[in-house]
Amino acid sequence: MGEGLYQVISKAVTEGEEEEAVKRINEALKAGLPPTEIMQKGIVAGISKAGELWKANEYFLPDVIMAADAFKAAMAVLKPRLEGKEGARKGKKIVIGVVQGDVHDLGKSLVIAMLTSAGFEVIDLGIDVPLQKFIDAARQQKPDIIGLGAYMSTTMLEMKGIIAELEKQGLRKNLKIMVGGVPTSQEFADQVGADAWGKDALDAMQKALKL
Amino acid sequence: MANPMVEIVRGLFYGNILPVGKLSPGARVFATLMGRRGDIVPFLSPQIHDHAMTVAKVPARKYYYDAELLVNTELAVERWYGFDAPMITADNYNFELEALGAKMVYSDYGMPTVDTNQPLIKERADLDKLGELDPTKGRIPVGVEIARLSAAKGLGLFANGLFCSPFSFICGATGYPKAVRALRKDPAFARELFDFAENKAIFPYLKAQAKAGVKQTIGADAWAAFPNLTPEMTDEWVVPSAMRLKERGKKELKMRVSAGAAAADYCEEDPAKFNKEIMFKCLTVALKLLPMDMTMTVMGRTQDWNMEWVQEFALKNRKRGRKLPIYASLNGRFVRDSKPQQIVDKIREWINIMGRDGGLLFFIGNVPADTPPVNVHTALQAVHKLGRYPIAKDLLAITVEPHKFTPFDEWLKGQPEADVIFKAREKK
Repeated sequence: MGEGLYQVISKAVTEGEEEEAVKRINEALKAGLPPTEIMQKGIVAGISKAGELWKANEYFLPDVIMAADAFKAAMAVLKPRLEGKEGARKGKKIVIGVVQGDVHDLGKSLVIAMLTSAGFEVIDLGIDVPLQKFIDAARQQKPDIIGLGAYMSTTMLEMKGIIAELEKQGLRKNLKIMVGGVPTSQEFADQVGADAWGKDALDAMQKALKL
Repeated sequence: MANPMVEIVRGLFYGNILPVGKLSPGARVFATLMGRRGDIVPFLSPQIHDHAMTVAKVPARKYYYDAELLVNTELAVERWYGFDAPMITADNYNFELEALGAKMVYSDYGMPTVDTNQPLIKERADLDKLGELDPTKGRIPVGVEIARLSAAKGLGLFANGLFCSPFSFICGATGYPKAVRALRKDPAFARELFDFAENKAIFPYLKAQAKAGVKQTIGADAWAAFPNLTPEMTDEWVVPSAMRLKERGKKELKMRVSAGAAAADYCEEDPAKFNKEIMFKCLTVALKLLPMDMTMTVMGRTQDWNMEWVQEFALKNRKRGRKLPIYASLNGRFVRDSKPQQIVDKIREWINIMGRDGGLLFFIGNVPADTPPVNVHTALQAVHKLGRYPIAKDLLAITVEPHKFTPFDEWLKGQPEADVIFKAREKK
């Protein structure tokens, strides 16, 4: 029953059917399936598939937005069941957001899924996030890591300003910065003064664990 | 600009019958727009408003609120560079939203911008609270005056009003994700949004433009570029909306209304995903929106494109035995971030592929404010030197050095726009 249900959840997420995804997750929980497995085999598999279709030019931005919506709705149901589960790294908190001018959600959603599965507490600032919101979050949430995402070569330049402002305001002492997104690179991360670059969602999670 | 009809006739005569002598910039453009060749490949004025403001060192808080200053500044900077046809643009996406009460971010250094964090329409009920646009509100009178002045300054066939096309208006009002969700999941709401955008927000602005004597107006629609929308979605939503505005403008205002400029523009950012089939679909949908048949590129990452594809599309869609003219746009970031020699090399490559048989026009898709002027001057010089007909067999044998130019302030002295620009720099 589990594998079949995971496939249905995965398909619902990929196809942006958020009501169906939520319904099936509740069904899986009721059936006693482990929340971590529901997330990995259902939700993460579904959003990863959407990412593959995007890379293959079979999905376009509207499809990706629908899939990300379904992902978020699904995670909202599952999150209370995941907190305190195995692998949790208590005290490790990550604030994550896509920089201003950029509305690409999928990469961030994948990174959040990976980080959550690794037990991080993730605070999602969303997309098109202005500089000040990152500064406020650094002050108020006191995260261990801030993750900055961008999909476009124009918007990735925002990251430099955010990191410079965090430095200027003395907020970087115990704070690590990670950057990621299609146009970014290790060289870019070095240039803007980030502590790590996530090549993809898995890489971002692995590097976050090491920071 | 000279009499536009004379320019057209001269351009057509040159292109069709007797290619002798030197054409005026306007005639050069018209010859090329007909899919023929002029004496030189023309370079059209790009979207240049914030770059012009930076070059002319005029304050943003005056520039975007004073039509006389904006029009004079753009015309002066475009002439300083030597573009073949003028074009006046402004922050086209903001006027209607600002007048309807959207939260804006104002700056000392750049154009006003809609605050996307505080959207005008957060939920469906907000739509009912919004009334019809009042054309005396916000900077609508400035937008109308910009359109009137561009005609009064003799821009001829290049004089037009500007507005924000419906889909981009909706994105500005609700945020892009919400707009897309409506198209995909709630078409009834999407139809209401389009109806409001077309009839309550945009049309009153067009009406004010028509009242001021504006004969044609163009609606910017960058939010409808690919991959924000698929070509199929553009065809389903944006094209019919543009047709409705076109018809209503023609019938009620006797004005030529072209919505959807830059919709379906192929803006894939990842070179690994460039795809000819998708690009052709985009170019085909864009053709439905253009005021004339053209292979249109605007904001895409064209520096990495295979321009053989663009030439192939233009030839495949030939009309009356002539290829579709190609509006070849150098990416604005490429022009800003490249060394002059890289720009020259790119132009050489493009002329070699797309220019030998005529019908090629150069353009820059929005010149960023901080673009080094030497890069734009060099681009102009390269197009005019390498693009001289007949195109040289060996373009590599022609060298183009980074252009030496008179600084703008020095050049400006004695120009008709000098007083307006120098005065605007004075602090009040």
